[in-house]
Amino acid sequence: MNLTWRLAWRNLWRHRRRTWLTVSAMVVCNVLLIFLIGLQLGSYDVMIEGSLGPVTGHLQVQREGFQEDQRIRDSVPAATALARTLRRALPEAEVGVRGTAFALASSEARSFGIQLQGVEAAREPGVSTLPGMLAEGRYLRGEGEEIVVGRLLARNLQARPGDEVVLLGSGRDGSMAAAVARLVGVVDSGVAELDRALAQVDLAWFQSVFAMGDHAHALVLRLPHLEAVPAAKARVQTLLPPDSELVVLDWDQLQPGLRQAIRTDMVSAWFLYGVLVLLVAFSVLNTQLMSVLERTREFGVMLALGLGPGRLARLVAMETALLGGLGLVLGILFGTVLTLALARWGFTYPGMEEVAQQFNLPARLYPRPGAAALLVGPGVVFVGALLAALYPALRLYRLQPVAAMRAV
Amino acid sequence: MSDIRCRELCKTFRQGEERITGLDRVSIDIDSGEFLCLSGPSGSGKTTLLNALGGLDRPDSGSITFGGRRIDCLPRGELADLRLREIGFVFQAYNLVPVLSARENIEFVMQVQGVPAAERHRRSLAILAEVGLEGLADRRPPAMSGGQQQRVAVARAIVSRPRLVLADEPTANLDSHSATRLMALFQTLNREHGVTFVMATHDPRVMAFAARRVSMEDGRIVADRVQEPCAPEPA
Amino acid sequence: MMRIATSLRLLPSLLTLAWRNLWRNHRRTLVMLSAIALGVWAMIFMTAMMRGMIDQMVQNGLATLPGHAQIHHPDFVRDPSVVNRFAEPGGELLAALEQPPVTAWAARLRVPAVVASEYASRGVTLLGVDPAAEAALGSLPGELVAGRALQGPADAGVVLGESLAQRLETAVGRRVVLMSQDPDNDVADRGARVVGIYRGRLEGDEERFAYTGRDSLQALLGVEGEVTEAAMNGPDYRRVVAWLPDIRRAAGASLSVQPWQTLNPFLASMLGLQDGYALVFMLVVFLVLSFGLVNTLVMAVFERTRELGLIQALGMRPGLILLLILMESLWLLLLGLALGNALALATLWPLRDGLDLSAVAAGLEMMAMGTTLYPLLELSDMAMASAVVVGLGLLASLLPAWRASRLAPVVALARD
Repeated sequence: MNLTWRLAWRNLWRHRRRTWLTVSAMVVCNVLLIFLIGLQLGSYDVMIEGSLGPVTGHLQVQREGFQEDQRIRDSVPAATALARTLRRALPEAEVGVRGTAFALASSEARSFGIQLQGVEAAREPGVSTLPGMLAEGRYLRGEGEEIVVGRLLARNLQARPGDEVVLLGSGRDGSMAAAVARLVGVVDSGVAELDRALAQVDLAWFQSVFAMGDHAHALVLRLPHLEAVPAAKARVQTLLPPDSELVVLDWDQLQPGLRQAIRTDMVSAWFLYGVLVLLVAFSVLNTQLMSVLERTREFGVMLALGLGPGRLARLVAMETALLGGLGLVLGILFGTVLTLALARWGFTYPGMEEVAQQFNLPARLYPRPGAAALLVGPGVVFVGALLAALYPALRLYRLQPVAAMRAV
Repeated sequence: MSDIRCRELCKTFRQGEERITGLDRVSIDIDSGEFLCLSGPSGSGKTTLLNALGGLDRPDSGSITFGGRRIDCLPRGELADLRLREIGFVFQAYNLVPVLSARENIEFVMQVQGVPAAERHRRSLAILAEVGLEGLADRRPPAMSGGQQQRVAVARAIVSRPRLVLADEPTANLDSHSATRLMALFQTLNREHGVTFVMATHDPRVMAFAARRVSMEDGRIVADRVQEPCAPEPA
Repeated sequence: MMRIATSLRLLPSLLTLAWRNLWRNHRRTLVMLSAIALGVWAMIFMTAMMRGMIDQMVQNGLATLPGHAQIHHPDFVRDPSVVNRFAEPGGELLAALEQPPVTAWAARLRVPAVVASEYASRGVTLLGVDPAAEAALGSLPGELVAGRALQGPADAGVVLGESLAQRLETAVGRRVVLMSQDPDNDVADRGARVVGIYRGRLEGDEERFAYTGRDSLQALLGVEGEVTEAAMNGPDYRRVVAWLPDIRRAAGASLSVQPWQTLNPFLASMLGLQDGYALVFMLVVFLVLSFGLVNTLVMAVFERTRELGLIQALGMRPGLILLLILMESLWLLLLGLALGNALALATLWPLRDGLDLSAVAAGLEMMAMGTTLYPLLELSDMAMASAVVVGLGLLASLLPAWRASRLAPVVALARD
């Protein structure tokens, strides 16, 4: 190690207590940042997957305008064939075909307006988490005349598996659509809006009841991970028949609230992080300012010996770098241990469950360990510390050797 | 009967690897109203003895009796009370609280003692006049000379009429004129109020004023003699 | 006892001494002061923003719920059908609803229904209302974009949400068919003219709620003089429990009276979580702040070691020295608090008319909020921030103060 660095290192330990306090402030801040950023990124992942899982999927192919107005006639022709094309072109994607229509569902005792989906019973578990959330009975088997409904809808209808549900609506051609289905299963997604209004039947049967022919309303694609969405979207775009008025919508277009909710949450999170980093910077500023002021006499002697103020300023910068480096290394060390432990065992706090449910989150959060979560916070703290030492270092340029040596 | 009795005081310090003898079986009796000077080279044990007498430091062994009361093993709080009411201190420098004015420095001790405000005010002005600093009551220490600061320190030490004033190198940072004035002041206080003075010094100007001179070396008393103090010079 | 009396007697001069000591190193004090002020500002500003957000979420939730408390047939919540209805409030219950602390109330018929146009049909919650009573309750949709409002309980017209009208491809003046179940489980239907289109506080509401006159809906379903829900407001939605028992008593055992917290546990838990979150936020900020505070005091004690030895030699008890350092810390904290609070007020004042957040409107809608955020500055939050900073600040200062009081006077004096 070069002599100047060694000098800087030793200077740091002239006030052991002060140095440790400053380093501790940085370490605590770094650990907090690592923990919070990790938790935040982890919960965003879960929030996105949780919101997209039951219905939306990552990508959907629809007729233009269907997303806004949900009109039954804005349908996708030859949907099953198009789905086959997509499956061939994108082997990593799960593709499911859905039809959607409004219907009045009546049990023996009650009637409610519902959102009826026709789904491919065999494909649906690949694109949606709903089939896995059965509370009672079983999922569809593709045999027609069977219906699966949400938990609250089943309660409101006072219907149980085995009961008959009468469906009444209007078909794509405006004709009257009426049919009877047997309730085979009840799903509990935890999201009240879905559980209150959602019902699923087999696609082929749906198409015949609602006079859809080979039309459907959406081709739902589910990809292995979120990062694959843009490429897949571009690929699907090229596979759509020309002049078909079909569009590919990604999850951000399908659920515009999701990304914005995350952005809103991020703003408040960054506010907190900014404040923490500033507070640590103040701490470093104070320490380095004191360390410069109390060495005025010593610096005066060094100036008298012929060292330029630039060298002295560099010495102070080096001391700060060592101080910050210590905080950085220890912070990352402790932060990593904490994150890994929590990534393994999860983390929860009282009252989180109800809120988590609203956003379809699990009640236990797992921070996402990753380079970004681990390095961004401590890195910014380190830079903040260096910037904070700028003022004390620049003061050295104003030092007059004789006056400085006389200082107490 | 002597006011202060020290018996077989021992004290050692560690400095790095070395053990340094501060006091080596020191016994001394000091009567009420004495004007005593401890002399000897640096490290001879003067300051250690002074600190032990003032209850600032505890001897490793031996006993100190002050007015018939053992003080070498009192708890910190009671030692503080003892210093507050019975003992005044004058150090060689940095004697005053820098953010308090001369008068406030003096009143501070009285306030801790519980003296009412009006009385404090009166006594502090009177004592400042007595030490010759009438006009400087509201000056803060950084705006005073070393001699003036020392006189404020003396005023503070004697304002509550202690039985004993301990002074450690009181003239070390003073020019010869200021030093002589300070010693003359000590002598007057000793004669007029009967305050016991114990000073540690190697300044011959101080030694000349003392009525009893105790010489120390390597933590031991090597000589203890009564002498004729020189008279205060006309101011 | 004596010592406490001494300390109290000396407090004013200790405060003076501490104040002057504070400014001996004005640069350090100013840096630390800025840090405390920044921390306090962040605590209050952020809490006010979050409070504003949650408050709006709850208010919106209550407006659509709506009301601070509701009366139902005991089976209605489980089975929201017209079967579970009750007679419009009268007698003792009416008297209780008509007097304070109830500020407004409305009885309505709330039933699941289907609205069909010539092109499409949709399931909605149809509300048969008395417009005047609902307006007092604040539960009518805020803004009409076309047509007129309902004119009374006998109004046979229907008011639809904007996005529902769009999906039904209908408009003001056109006819739709309202279908719902009557108490005998038969489908009752009648045509109705769309008289108004409203814009909801949240887009979700527009698709879910349709309004018509209460009497006309009662006539359609054959339940004259009967309703399924009565909603009421008190002065403060946070203190519903205070007056609810009186309403319960008046309503009798045959009706169920529930506060909004029971009807929408999500909103209630949001509100509860908020208090906890504000405290956690403050503690996190304070934690990072406390190191700087302790550091400043450690430096101050270090520089003044000699002086502290001196005043010990003068007879000051260790307890008083501890107090002296604590007073210095107290000054620093109080000044920082004053600055931080002033800064928070200064930054929140320009935002009193709301902060426009329409850029993230859809995200806010997911959290059941409108597009304008009104920061909500509560005295209790300012008090909590101040208590955290002063209380924990003094606690953190105990360490350096205690060390200062334990300095051996001889060692302290020996230091240059």
